[in-house]
Amino acid sequence: MQAFDYKYQQLEPVKSFKRVPGPEMYVPGHRTCAGCGPALNYRLVAKAAGKDTIFIGPTGCMYVANASYLCTPYAVSWIHAQITNGGAVASGIEAAFKIAMRKGRHAGPFPNIIVMAGDGGTVDIGLQAMSAMMYRNHKVLFICYDNESYANTGVQTSPMTPYGAATTFTPPGKEIPEGKTLFPKNAPQLVIGGHPAVKYVATTTIAHPLDLMNKVRKALSQPGPTFLHMLCPCPKGWLFDEKMTREMARLAVETGMWSMYEWENGTYKYTNVPKKYKPVGEYMKHQGRFAHLKPEHIAKMQAFVDEKIKQVQRPIPVAAAVPGKQ
Amino acid sequence: MAKAKMLTGCRAAAEGAKAAEVEVICSYPIRPYTAIMMELAKMVANGELNAEFVHGEGEHAQLSVVLGACAAGARAYTGSSGVGVTYAMELYSPMAGGRYPVQMTIADRTLDPPGDFGSEHTDAMCTRDNGWLLGWACSPQEVYDNTLIAYRVGEDHRVMLPQMVCQDGYFISHIPDKVTLGEMSQVKEFLPPYRPIGPLSLTHPVSHGPQIRPDQGAPMDAMRAQTFLAVPKVIEEATADFNRIFGRNYDPFVEQYKLADAEIAFFIMGAHSNTCRTAVDRLRKQGVKAGMARLRWVRPWPTHQLATALGHVKAIGVVETSTSYGGAMRGGNLIHELRASLYDLDERPLVTSFMGGLGGETIWPADFDNMAKVLTQAVKEKKVRNYVQWLGM
Repeated sequence: MQAFDYKYQQLEPVKSFKRVPGPEMYVPGHRTCAGCGPALNYRLVAKAAGKDTIFIGPTGCMYVANASYLCTPYAVSWIHAQITNGGAVASGIEAAFKIAMRKGRHAGPFPNIIVMAGDGGTVDIGLQAMSAMMYRNHKVLFICYDNESYANTGVQTSPMTPYGAATTFTPPGKEIPEGKTLFPKNAPQLVIGGHPAVKYVATTTIAHPLDLMNKVRKALSQPGPTFLHMLCPCPKGWLFDEKMTREMARLAVETGMWSMYEWENGTYKYTNVPKKYKPVGEYMKHQGRFAHLKPEHIAKMQAFVDEKIKQVQRPIPVAAAVPGKQ
Repeated sequence: MAKAKMLTGCRAAAEGAKAAEVEVICSYPIRPYTAIMMELAKMVANGELNAEFVHGEGEHAQLSVVLGACAAGARAYTGSSGVGVTYAMELYSPMAGGRYPVQMTIADRTLDPPGDFGSEHTDAMCTRDNGWLLGWACSPQEVYDNTLIAYRVGEDHRVMLPQMVCQDGYFISHIPDKVTLGEMSQVKEFLPPYRPIGPLSLTHPVSHGPQIRPDQGAPMDAMRAQTFLAVPKVIEEATADFNRIFGRNYDPFVEQYKLADAEIAFFIMGAHSNTCRTAVDRLRKQGVKAGMARLRWVRPWPTHQLATALGHVKAIGVVETSTSYGGAMRGGNLIHELRASLYDLDERPLVTSFMGGLGGETIWPADFDNMAKVLTQAVKEKKVRNYVQWLGM
């Protein structure tokens, strides 16, 4: 595989909230719902990435509710992609900057090229384009802002919608009492499992802003394709009180519905692992999309989560290295 | 002047792209156009062409990759055939609406079913109402030439539109013919470097393709329509410059072969026009005043040029190499627009059509003789008996 030999950006970690970069790259002008998780997420990602960035926005909430003609909220360059092709459009942009740098038209730095895709634009209709971009080793950060449904079209199920959720395509009824009967895809594992060019993958949520920003900066400092999976609760789609957006993301981690980890060159590093997981009901009870579920359905969800968290490796609190073997 | 070489249409297209110094190429294999990408891959591998060669994961991705590349300021090139052309359908409108002047080269292939490698124009014709420039070549030489002419027209700031440069699969794409390649100095004189308008940039942030309200849609559509009104003049200028610099003799829109005193005429585009010219010569020897009008651009459609070129003819036979099932004339596509182009004349020619060359079938000289009989009969009877006749059925 050809090495990426263009001068690209190295973004140092942000050590504390006081040192978060000041300039906003995602500014007023959007018209998202009150309490929108993906909008909060966009602001943090853009702030962390900084001015030398180009966003690719496949169709989804962050296109439809953000990018109004003559009033877009992006202080950096941004381009719409179809919901199908975020990875492919990003590949073309990356290729164009390579040739521009080879021919001396662009002095550098190599831009941070970020695809900001919803869950449908990542693991459903956008999967092929994302996978091919990663296979081809383009220096692109692909972010899945996961609000667990096709929300802007009126909350239809996506492959990230959890089991038991009511959506407009999975309404609970007499024959199908749970609503959604399937369990979701595992987005980061799809990336890790099949893309040798990808060396960095991480998950985070909007309830962990410093962690989120540093994962963005770390991903952008890699010479190749990277992937971040970000949980972005959606008051409209999940039916919870809009002031509880961050609380939903925090509860997802505390119940094991969502795991926080980094995967770097084959090594997992888990963070924010609860000492004792709360029952999933603590998370589900706040959300109208689960209101129709019976105890047996919640037990089924608990069993799914119990199986999932068996994968979670608890961080080693103190590591004593063997002398001379580091 | 360089010496002529024997090149296929595919090789000629690749040579045209190389001469244009395309910067981002996106490939995906499908016969028969794929030989163009095979040639370009060699040129990039050998260092003859400084370009990014991206292996798309399908035609939809091909169009997406070149859209992104063009938006970021690169001269971008892609291509396809048959169902590959239609697989990319989602992207034709955003490409034209975004005013990204990429070039897509097409070697025509019949759409499925059943699987058929032969040439038929339906693949590219499906895209004709999406705002691209669309034209057909009839020889490997014209493929090379149109590659350069189309970039020049599409990248003109009065135009800024993507271009589809088409050639018949196999008849042109895979049969070598004499091609004179341009000298670098000629190409440089004819085709300036691509100057993007408002590309994605770190220093001048821009937003490409935001959402609009319904009331903002119509003015944008009107602007695109307005642009198309300006395209013919740009094509005329570019063709005149091309003829001067490269020593060719193209009519910008319609090749007129023995039309001046013709009583019957064939209206045709692409590879079969080569047989048609021979057939016209034969018919002339037999005393039939036949002629041929060969269309070079389908978009923009040369309405007035066709009325001028064909207005005096008594009967026209449209040779259709694409399908329009259930259409007004029950056959192909070209007859609709030709009839409409002639409608405002005080004395209109009779117009009928012939379905030929479908599935890659050859249209033989004898077929043209039979078409001439139908047209001669129409002249005598002062009417056409059918909107459409299928050849060889």
